[in-house]
Amino acid sequence: MNILRRQVCSTLRRPIARQYVTARPFVPPSQLDQVDPFPPRRRGRGRRKNPDEEELDEEERNDEISGPKAKPESQSFYTGRAIYHDNLIQLQNAISRTRGTLKTLQLLPLPPFARESLIQMQTAWKTPDELAREFDTNMTTGRYRRVTALLNELHEYYRIAVTAKHPQLADMIDDILRLFTSGKKNQALAQGKRKKVQLDQYGRSYTVGKRKTSSARVWMIPVKTPLPSSSLSSTTLPVEDVLGLSETERLSIPVPTSTILINNLPIAEYFPQPADRERIVYPLKVAGVLGKYNIFTIARGGGTTGQSGAIAHGIAKGIFAHESDVGDVLRRAKLLRRDPRMVERKKTGLAKARKRYTWVKR
Amino acid sequence: MPATQLSHPLFESDNRHPISLPTFTPANITQDMIGQAVHFAELPNDPIKFYGTPKPLLLEYRLLSRRASVIRDVTVQTARLLDEAAQKSSKDTRIAITGSSGSGKSVLLLQAVRYCLENDWVVIYIPRAKSTVNSTTTHTYDLRTRTYLQPEYASQILRRILGVNSKLLSDINTKQSLSLERRQIPAGTSLSELATIGVKEQQLATVILDALMNELSAQKKYPVLLAIDDFQAIYKERTIYRDPHFAHIRPYHLSMPRLLLEFASGQRVFSQGAVLGAVTNTDPLFPISNELMWALGTERIHPTSPYDKMNKTLVEYTAGLKNLEVPAQFSLPEASAVFEVWMKDRAVSAPINDELFLSKYTESGGHPRSFVWKGLLATLDGEIPKYDPEVPWPQLREAVVV
Repeated sequence: MNILRRQVCSTLRRPIARQYVTARPFVPPSQLDQVDPFPPRRRGRGRRKNPDEEELDEEERNDEISGPKAKPESQSFYTGRAIYHDNLIQLQNAISRTRGTLKTLQLLPLPPFARESLIQMQTAWKTPDELAREFDTNMTTGRYRRVTALLNELHEYYRIAVTAKHPQLADMIDDILRLFTSGKKNQALAQGKRKKVQLDQYGRSYTVGKRKTSSARVWMIPVKTPLPSSSLSSTTLPVEDVLGLSETERLSIPVPTSTILINNLPIAEYFPQPADRERIVYPLKVAGVLGKYNIFTIARGGGTTGQSGAIAHGIAKGIFAHESDVGDVLRRAKLLRRDPRMVERKKTGLAKARKRYTWVKR
Repeated sequence: MPATQLSHPLFESDNRHPISLPTFTPANITQDMIGQAVHFAELPNDPIKFYGTPKPLLLEYRLLSRRASVIRDVTVQTARLLDEAAQKSSKDTRIAITGSSGSGKSVLLLQAVRYCLENDWVVIYIPRAKSTVNSTTTHTYDLRTRTYLQPEYASQILRRILGVNSKLLSDINTKQSLSLERRQIPAGTSLSELATIGVKEQQLATVILDALMNELSAQKKYPVLLAIDDFQAIYKERTIYRDPHFAHIRPYHLSMPRLLLEFASGQRVFSQGAVLGAVTNTDPLFPISNELMWALGTERIHPTSPYDKMNKTLVEYTAGLKNLEVPAQFSLPEASAVFEVWMKDRAVSAPINDELFLSKYTESGGHPRSFVWKGLLATLDGEIPKYDPEVPWPQLREAVVV
């Protein structure tokens, strides 16, 4: 018992005594080997100067020099968004310098007639996501607007410089603006406009037409006409034919004809109804290109009317891809427009979309 | 106002003049006449009048002022085949005309019939062979031959053969005497007399028809053409006829189809002549049977398997048949000739121009029946309405068309 009491008393005493003596933080046993026996002291007096620790002192000294007390790289470091603010400052400087230059050249302030005559140039600045990556901050709407406002002003000065034919100034402004122009400028400017259909290596156009719930993929290729000049180039023509006096005037001009295949079936087989066939051939009639193109289509979804309307839409777009001067006629005939009519939904309280139940007086 | 003063073309419907077209003659069937429309002239022994035509052709000829048809490359091809067949036995020239529905098989057969008729052949044309198997004529069981005889049909066909070929038949005499139940027909009687007996006495008609065919097979004076439309109907295993056990009677157990089958398979031959058959695709009661499809090698719609049952006897009856396929598309000159015929007969309501022709040709893909019936005759295209600003009510003014 006495031994136990002595042990308990000694263990109780020891940690308390240790606590007041060293004030060391608790280290879990598994990490005891990671403890630095010579931790860097806080700055100030009372530093140990041991001969063993001379090297460490030099290292500590270097750390302390490059530590929190070192001079920051950027002047706007303490804003927390150094790159962003630096760019803003540079843009503002550029604007003020350019303004000064233009005033010297007497190009600012511009009268209204001169401002209207400036060359139209469309801009596409980098998206907030791209700028966020560059500036290393979260680009909120406000921050983005500040940047774009400055860029737009600089762009105005660029337009003035280009219109007034000062290439050096224009180039200098352009160097700055190019840093902020989106790589996807063409895409951004073409947004909302219809993409021009490209013909492939064989001269085929690929367009898509839709009507109700049907869609049709249409490939159109010009028909290869055989050379009609073979008869003209032969030297053994009889005299009567040359002078146009022959009685049997059978014209041997080869007339090209269009073949239309839908899901690999000829049109007469796929669409038995004459109305559907006429609807498909109508764009060719309107454009006046009846025998000019061979058409291959894949139609999916919907029924006969929907599929024939979708094919007609695709054919109209295909004709427009091959010949753009016909676009006006097709547009007036409302063939380039995707017919927006869809099946109307059934409503509650009604038998069908519009049909009401029989009215009962009582 | 008197009727004579009505000069508007709308009132001219009664004064329809037949359109002028060259006649169909054997001299006209040449390579450079391809794409030319011709018409079947009225003859005293006109096969169209005596034998009849399939129903679609009949309706078409009722609309047109002339019985017109266009010479195609298959026409010239068939004509050359028939020229060769005139010297050979019919065993070498047994042809089945196939093609897609509405591609002109029956018309080609009719052209062949007229061609042979004007080349002094004996022509036997059966435009609707399905009437031999669809239980529309009487059939009586004969113990001697153990087949069902069709006396009414035999008598009718004898009458028609006589009507068309009387001149040639009176020139041929029987070589063998024929002894029937009550009478004896000696050798040396002309075939026209033989046929007349069959026409008058229906009970003897089947036997006399058989005898007539035998005599025609043996003689070498004139080549014989046996032309059968609805060819696939006689190759259907189950005819509409029923026997007393209510089983379907087979076509080779009926006298008329058996006759046709025997000549088509070469079991009986004409010393000089040919057998032509045109198939009909669109009859659901008599679809083309497996036996015929297998013999002709035509394209099948449904997949086949070795377990598909085929009647052995019918397969024997298909031996040696050759396939002549009619192209499913008109060429442009042929289509333009057809267009001109209907245009001249004033059957087309739309404004006549090359745009109408090309658009209908494109819509139908050149397919003959579609081009005429669903293209030219079914179009609702009309004159482009003219804008008249003087009409007082705006809602009645035609829309401005740019």
